[in-house]
Amino acid sequence: MSKLFTGATSRRTLLKATGGLIGAAALPMPFIRRANAADVTLAISLRSLTNPYHADFAKGGQAFGKSVEVLVTEGNSEKGVADVRALLAKSNGNLVLCIDPNDSPDARVIVEDVAKAGGQVVTIWNKPNDLHPWDFGNHYVAHISFDGVQYGKLMGDTLFKAMGDTGGFVGLGGIFSNVPAIERKAGMEQAVAGTGGKVKLLDFQVANWTAPEAFKITQAWVTRFSDDIKGIWAANDEMAIGAIEALRAEGLNGKIPVTGIDGTPPAVSAVKSGEMVGTVDWDPMWIGGMGISLGYNTRIGKIDIEKEPKSHREFYGTGVPVTKANIDSFMEAKKAGEKLDFNDFWGRVQGQIRYM
Amino acid sequence: MDSTAAVTAGGGADASRRSTRAAGSRLARIRPLIPVGVLILLCIGITLVSPHFATVGNFRRIGISAAIPMVLACGMTFVILLGSIDLSTEGTVAVAAVAFSLLVKNMVNGQNFGLYALPLPVALGSLLGFVNGWVHVRLRIPSLIASLGVGFAGIGIATVVLSGITVRIDDMTVRGIALNRFLDVPFSTWTAIVCVLIAWLVQTYTRLGRWSYVIGGGEDIAKLSGVPVGRVRIGIYTLAGFFYGIGGILCVAQFGQSQALIAQGYLFNVITSVVVGGTALTGGEGGILNTVVGVLLVTVLGNGMILVGVPPYVQQGVQGLLIIVAVALSIDRTRARLVK
Repeated sequence: MSKLFTGATSRRTLLKATGGLIGAAALPMPFIRRANAADVTLAISLRSLTNPYHADFAKGGQAFGKSVEVLVTEGNSEKGVADVRALLAKSNGNLVLCIDPNDSPDARVIVEDVAKAGGQVVTIWNKPNDLHPWDFGNHYVAHISFDGVQYGKLMGDTLFKAMGDTGGFVGLGGIFSNVPAIERKAGMEQAVAGTGGKVKLLDFQVANWTAPEAFKITQAWVTRFSDDIKGIWAANDEMAIGAIEALRAEGLNGKIPVTGIDGTPPAVSAVKSGEMVGTVDWDPMWIGGMGISLGYNTRIGKIDIEKEPKSHREFYGTGVPVTKANIDSFMEAKKAGEKLDFNDFWGRVQGQIRYM
Repeated sequence: MDSTAAVTAGGGADASRRSTRAAGSRLARIRPLIPVGVLILLCIGITLVSPHFATVGNFRRIGISAAIPMVLACGMTFVILLGSIDLSTEGTVAVAAVAFSLLVKNMVNGQNFGLYALPLPVALGSLLGFVNGWVHVRLRIPSLIASLGVGFAGIGIATVVLSGITVRIDDMTVRGIALNRFLDVPFSTWTAIVCVLIAWLVQTYTRLGRWSYVIGGGEDIAKLSGVPVGRVRIGIYTLAGFFYGIGGILCVAQFGQSQALIAQGYLFNVITSVVVGGTALTGGEGGILNTVVGVLLVTVLGNGMILVGVPPYVQQGVQGLLIIVAVALSIDRTRARLVK
């Protein structure tokens, strides 16, 4: 032991120790695998568990009631695909997968693999525009997304209402090449056009979805436009919080209305305190749970997915706008742990997905 | 004839070599001042286009923006002086920030230690820095990989502890660490100034600081001269972790929340600042005062581009250009025998 702290421990010793530990951990594996083999494997694949959105996504899958494996891609498409293949092999195709693909092209590879192995897959948010569930029988069950244009516009309208439908505002966007970022911005621009020139977009900057970036940009805006800023529109809640903190450093928090999108807990409490005037809750628990539910019920034959209309196979889910008007009832519902009904398959369908 | 030509040629080469050396030394004398010059020029340029730039309010905002990168860069400077690199910044800051946010009044658990919680994140940061240095030195793993690993581990720890949630801070005393003002300057800026002072004292008056220059200048010679290279390296990484811990506290106080990715984006900002300030990635050259200039350059540039109205998609390009120009100007590459 003393050698560990004084001398140069040889890497071989360390590797041996690590190898031993892994070996010991692997010992019970044959038993575990045998126990699971009879049953259908449920799995969720997503980017990472470091953010509230995906953490709730995974929790939703687990709330469906069966044990759900969670695969994490860490933003690496190769890993995402390899993990799914490993699980397909392990479960012998007896798999129901709900996946938020790391990148749109990944969806094609994964859907084809799952279909070939005879499993069921539901994709969320990302897929290539020409990849459709109805081309894969009952194997590619559905694709669920959310209409960024609609909710970007809704938050724009909410913001302008708080500004008294007049004056200048600034916009914080996500990454340029990212579909939700493009859609939400397009929605915001529609809202601006809807005011007939009474509300003006002073400047639009890209803050890469993060609070620290939004913080710096908002600070510079306060310098550049000072009193001309009557509102701040942000494409997600992280950036909205960054903007609020920059305003707080100037003593302007709560005086300039801010909107976000995503419904993160800090944003919800900011709506409560009046520092934000709105956000949109996607209810990620519903997404994760419903993704698994659609796949599972198709597999056991409860849904005959091939007989369902196209609007049930590629559809927009429903976002819940959170504003001053409904904040109290929204927070109470969250606190009570809303009871999600994963057998109400089409209750939140907002129509078939449109391609821009 | 032949011999004369050879002599002339030889003499010519000698003369030209002598003249480059002279030019080099003249350049060498003003070289440390080049980043300062670039900074001043940048400020003048921005002021000409945007009169809002040179106002007290804006300087205060720049001071706030620069505070967190400055604190983190204090640690990074010493590591780079060694000729090593530290990619663990974001992970270490995340661990410190998460630990701190869970101990003060927050929306997730019932803890409320207030300012008494301050030493823990700093200790955790130092500990992670120590582990980083120990893995690097004792297991003989290149600093790039060792610190990358520790950084990932840090983000992993933060993720597991929070299971993906964001912790919101309610305690306004804690928020005051960043928001309160003394002489109309926010505490976050004062913290950065104190950190720079500490770093400068370490760099100038301690063996740790002096030896880091020696090691960066030539590790073999340092070893032969009896410098305990391994211990200094571990010490420097621990010191870096200490500053990252303070950075974590500032992040929590400034943004009022913590999550596993709280420091996302700071790593490259900090490395850029250190290098732009004139501290050589090869080690042994530069120092904390260079870093102050570097951090200000990067922050002023970011601030200025928004004031001037540079389109967002051009901004990153401008930043990239700045790095190359600053390094080209401020580092003496004539002595570099190898560029890899």
